Amino acid sequence: MSVQTVLAPQAEKPVRPSFVRRYLPYLLIAPSVIMLLSLIAYPLLFALRSSLYFWNLQIAPQPLTFVGLANYVQALNAFDFRDALVNTLVLSVTGTAIEFAFGLAIALLLLKALPGMNVVRALLILPTTIAPIVVGFLFRYLYDPGGGLITWLLRVFGAPVPPMGLLGSPTTALAAVLFADVWQWTPFFAIVLYASLLSVPDEIIEAARLDRASPLTMLIRIKLPLIRRTAVIIAMLRFMQLFNTFDTVLVLTRGGPGTSTRTLGYSLYEQGLINFNIGLVSAMTWITVLIVNVIVALYVSFAFRNEEW
Amino acid sequence: MLRQKAFFSGLTYVGGLLVLAIFIGPIVWFIALAIRPAETAFAMPPQFTFQPGLDAFRHILVNPGTNAPQLVNSLIVAIGAVALNLPFSVPAAYALSRFKVRGKKNIMLWYLGLLMAPPIAFLIPYFILITRVGLQGTYFSMVLVLQTITIPFSVWLMKSFIDEVPSELEEAARVDGARWYTVMWRITLPIVRPGIIVTSMFAFVFAWNNAAFPLVLSSRSTATLPIGTLGYFATSGVTWNFIAAAAVLAMIPPMIIFLVFDRYVVRGLTFGSVKG
Repeated sequence: MSVQTVLAPQAEKPVRPSFVRRYLPYLLIAPSVIMLLSLIAYPLLFALRSSLYFWNLQIAPQPLTFVGLANYVQALNAFDFRDALVNTLVLSVTGTAIEFAFGLAIALLLLKALPGMNVVRALLILPTTIAPIVVGFLFRYLYDPGGGLITWLLRVFGAPVPPMGLLGSPTTALAAVLFADVWQWTPFFAIVLYASLLSVPDEIIEAARLDRASPLTMLIRIKLPLIRRTAVIIAMLRFMQLFNTFDTVLVLTRGGPGTSTRTLGYSLYEQGLINFNIGLVSAMTWITVLIVNVIVALYVSFAFRNEEW
Repeated sequence: MLRQKAFFSGLTYVGGLLVLAIFIGPIVWFIALAIRPAETAFAMPPQFTFQPGLDAFRHILVNPGTNAPQLVNSLIVAIGAVALNLPFSVPAAYALSRFKVRGKKNIMLWYLGLLMAPPIAFLIPYFILITRVGLQGTYFSMVLVLQTITIPFSVWLMKSFIDEVPSELEEAARVDGARWYTVMWRITLPIVRPGIIVTSMFAFVFAWNNAAFPLVLSSRSTATLPIGTLGYFATSGVTWNFIAAAAVLAMIPPMIIFLVFDRYVVRGLTFGSVKG
């Protein structure tokens, strides 16, 4: 008798969790998914429809004529859009690589753990906290052809500075934009790589040291493979942020001189919000979204391949 | 041997100072621009000593005080974006951490994909939509659109904090007969409160530093601080002291948050996918 009264509630138990398990999680997730879907579905569908029309807001408030895929053809044939695509890829690939290399070097320096170095580590993150648009202003000041600190330093060390300044010359402008980004984001790599290198177990390092592994071998053969997951994730995040670069270019160069620093983000801004060429910019938007999707899908499936969820 | 060691320590310190000079030097130089006499801003060779003054800050904050309302606007938009995000992201992060969800991996990666989407691609449609429904220039339009950043970011970071709460605590409560919402509300959420605060702080920084959305959606009276700095370019004769002063104001809150939450910086910047 007494045994049965104890057992009865336990027999009921599995019923309630199974109902909860089936619907509750989805009800908790749904609001955020619905909110996000409604925020991104409209822009994408709107752009899809607009991309099939000739529509310039300066001419008419509504789409004018149906032109099929002409906007896509025009976008892909426009030299400035193709230049933007090339610049964006150059920026993203070289930027991620340089920032990773410098970041790793600084991380190894911080690992020396001498007294006082933790101050360096704490302050180092500051560039990363600054709004990209403010970094744009900062570097415009440093690059100023008349009185910029970087211009002055280069001249002192005898490096040739173009008369129009680093941002005013087509040969140096993209490198100057890249340098501003490297300045802002190298600390990000340094701090994250430092944290993950710190978590490499001491026993492994000791064992390698007993085997007389050289510091370089130890780094390439032991430490880097152990932090591979982190390295891949942060390189991916940074690559995508660089791919979307827009604020810094807006302040530094407005895509110039010529098309030398034009990025995809800046092209979209210019066609949409300066020329108000809604049809063309919508086609560009879809081309960009497709490219980004392919890269993100490739990256994500690689980086999170073995993840437990 | 000892001398060799001292030599390498010395070399490390030289490296450390070089790193500081390269990465902190430009910030100091920009702050100097805000407090130096205007006529020395572009002196060649650069003037490293000068009589500091707060004239630029007086100009932007008090008289005529162009940027003072923008400082308030930035606070309203960033705090609004964080506040609106919480009721959406906290339950989602909890569910994704605690329950078995079909397609969990895909849902998580979908949020991540949104974080990596180019905001500029959405700007023009938002601009047209917001204008059509008559919300142009409102704080709400900016707060709403910023959710595309704050919600996915917060879900990721918060999930990493909830994952760390041992589920034994919840099971103990459930054995005692507590319902799921009691468990979530009374047990798990109080434990992860520090995590929610950290998440909110970093989400605040992302919203505060965003310039793309306010660039298109704000009006003259709701412009945020980054847009305000951009405004000096439109006026004739760029006044760099004012730009620097406004930019320094914009730099302060994120810097304080990053220095105070130093322990969580790695986690915040990687959306919780790397534990620092």
